[in-house]
Amino acid sequence: MSAHSTIPLCCLRWLAPMLAGLFLTVAAPAVTAAAVGLAQLPQRWLEDDGRTLAIDSLAGRRVVLTMAYARCHVVCPQAVRQLQQIQSLLDSRGERVDFVIIGYDPDNDRPSDWRVYRADRHLNRSNWHFLSGSRTDTERLARQLGFDFWRYDEHVMHDARAVVFDVRGELQLALGPETKSWASAL
Amino acid sequence: MATVVSDAPLAHARDGRFGVAWLWRGRVIKRLGGGMFGLVLAVAGCGAIAPLTARGESSESKQLTELQQKLDQSLKLIEALTQRVKQLEAAQSASAPAAAGAAAPTDAQRIETVENRVMQIEATNAGRSGDTTGVPLHGFADIGIGNHTANEQQFQGANVGALDIFLNPQLGQHTRSLFELTFEVNEQGQVQSDLERAQIGYQFNDQATLWVGRFHTPFGYYNTAYHHGQQIAISLRRPRLILFEDQGGVMPSHTVGAWFTGSEHLTDGKVTYDLFAGNGQSISGGEIDPRSGGVDHGGAIYGGNLGYVFGETLNGLKIGVSAFRSKITDDQQFVNFIRVDNVAVYFNYDTDRFEYVGEYYRFSDTDLTPVGPLHRSSAGFLQLAWRLPFATTPYARYERAVLDQSDEYFALQNNGMSYYRAALGLRFDLDLKSALKFEVARTKNTDRNIQEWNDVLLNYAIRF
Repeated sequence: MSAHSTIPLCCLRWLAPMLAGLFLTVAAPAVTAAAVGLAQLPQRWLEDDGRTLAIDSLAGRRVVLTMAYARCHVVCPQAVRQLQQIQSLLDSRGERVDFVIIGYDPDNDRPSDWRVYRADRHLNRSNWHFLSGSRTDTERLARQLGFDFWRYDEHVMHDARAVVFDVRGELQLALGPETKSWASAL
Repeated sequence: MATVVSDAPLAHARDGRFGVAWLWRGRVIKRLGGGMFGLVLAVAGCGAIAPLTARGESSESKQLTELQQKLDQSLKLIEALTQRVKQLEAAQSASAPAAAGAAAPTDAQRIETVENRVMQIEATNAGRSGDTTGVPLHGFADIGIGNHTANEQQFQGANVGALDIFLNPQLGQHTRSLFELTFEVNEQGQVQSDLERAQIGYQFNDQATLWVGRFHTPFGYYNTAYHHGQQIAISLRRPRLILFEDQGGVMPSHTVGAWFTGSEHLTDGKVTYDLFAGNGQSISGGEIDPRSGGVDHGGAIYGGNLGYVFGETLNGLKIGVSAFRSKITDDQQFVNFIRVDNVAVYFNYDTDRFEYVGEYYRFSDTDLTPVGPLHRSSAGFLQLAWRLPFATTPYARYERAVLDQSDEYFALQNNGMSYYRAALGLRFDLDLKSALKFEVARTKNTDRNIQEWNDVLLNYAIRF
């Protein structure tokens, strides 16, 4: 047997499975890692008027989601201002969008707290959803969407951040403190 | 800059390996494009040639049969993979309908987009990997400079403030814990560490938690609202009377014992409550010692705090009262016992536009060895801060303490003299995690060692 013919024989024993394995490795993430969408998030939330809301029910329109806590007077007001600018921009485009604000601090961000919060800040439009959930669901959603926060007693240490879901409910954009104008990024 | 992550599998891409594999996959698919099918055919071709060559080798007929079977399996697998690649390509083109109308991006642009996505994923996950893999490390630090240091009038120039390590392990549904370890430079310029808080608690529900360990004594408002991390406090330094013990504060800021705390929501607003009991403090070397290792004379401190947080009406306002009684010892040869009774009223009005806080303390102390007369003292402060545009927060604070110098509790403390201080300051938030603070103040000790001085202070405080 020539060297030329021997090499393929030896190699072929492994080549095909290896190639197959390689293709599988390359393709595997796409199979196992579904993109984070509204449907993958915890669904049990209470609106500030006491009604329940499943987040995936908002699919069909773009959704801008952020996390905040009602007693925050430094970071959260900045984030809310950015959301208001997005609202103005999309109003001018005639595009409808839902804004979702989820409380970092379930012990204190109850529906009644959010009701007062939005009344004080005149955030009365019905497409703004101030949501309260359980501590477990809140922390899970934060992990899924990359909202990094920690508690320093009654303070919640966090950044200004928002994520945007497209009309199919799939994650489209991540906005952070490094984005000077969230509206211009849309 | 915003980052497009439309089909990035954020939640499932927490480790770098996935990010690299995902990037590689993207590059392979992009570069090969429709050529993938050609590669598959080439592999299949090799598979077809090999058996023909081997057919002449009779000694390997058994081996060939096995190989044939493996090749059949491989071809089936390759066929399946070819279908999968087609599906992926179809899905990819379907997920970017907007791009269809626009000019097709070049490979370099596509690769850059993919790299940006991966960087976004990695950056996102780098910050939160600790949530599930261990205890996240957080903390605070600050550096000061001035004609005096913030809490030591006799020193000037630059000074290291505190490195404050904060650990908050998540232990389960009900058990909570909290540790705050600080490193500070003492008067001799040596670094000293202090376990400022060490608490383990059982949370009965959202409204009630029982802590044991070393905690901030829940008197007034400030002592439990602002802790050792200077970055979160508006002002450059704490009011002098409620400085921490080793900084010269005259109040027992820390207690070692048990603390039951919680809140109860009402129709409009909520009630907050605290009950606590612990080791009676001692005065040692002119400073209050929280007796973290236990007491040797049986003294105890106990007290409570009751507050009301307004709801819809006067949202942001909290008012409250607190009281404690402590049996305090000293480090004299013949130990003295002092009973300290303290009552306080306080308010905090915190909104997006301002924060006002005021506290008033009334002491009624009695020397117990031998039983002496009642000594009355009082102290308080008022701080007004305004949150202005451009992340600036000017503040003004006035403090006054009138402390009976015949009261052993104050007489034995280095900083137990009466004083007033008027301060003006400005906080500027450089970003969400760092702040520059500037303060000018005039302080006068009005008894014991009467003296007055001016402070011009600058402080750079961060959190991480």
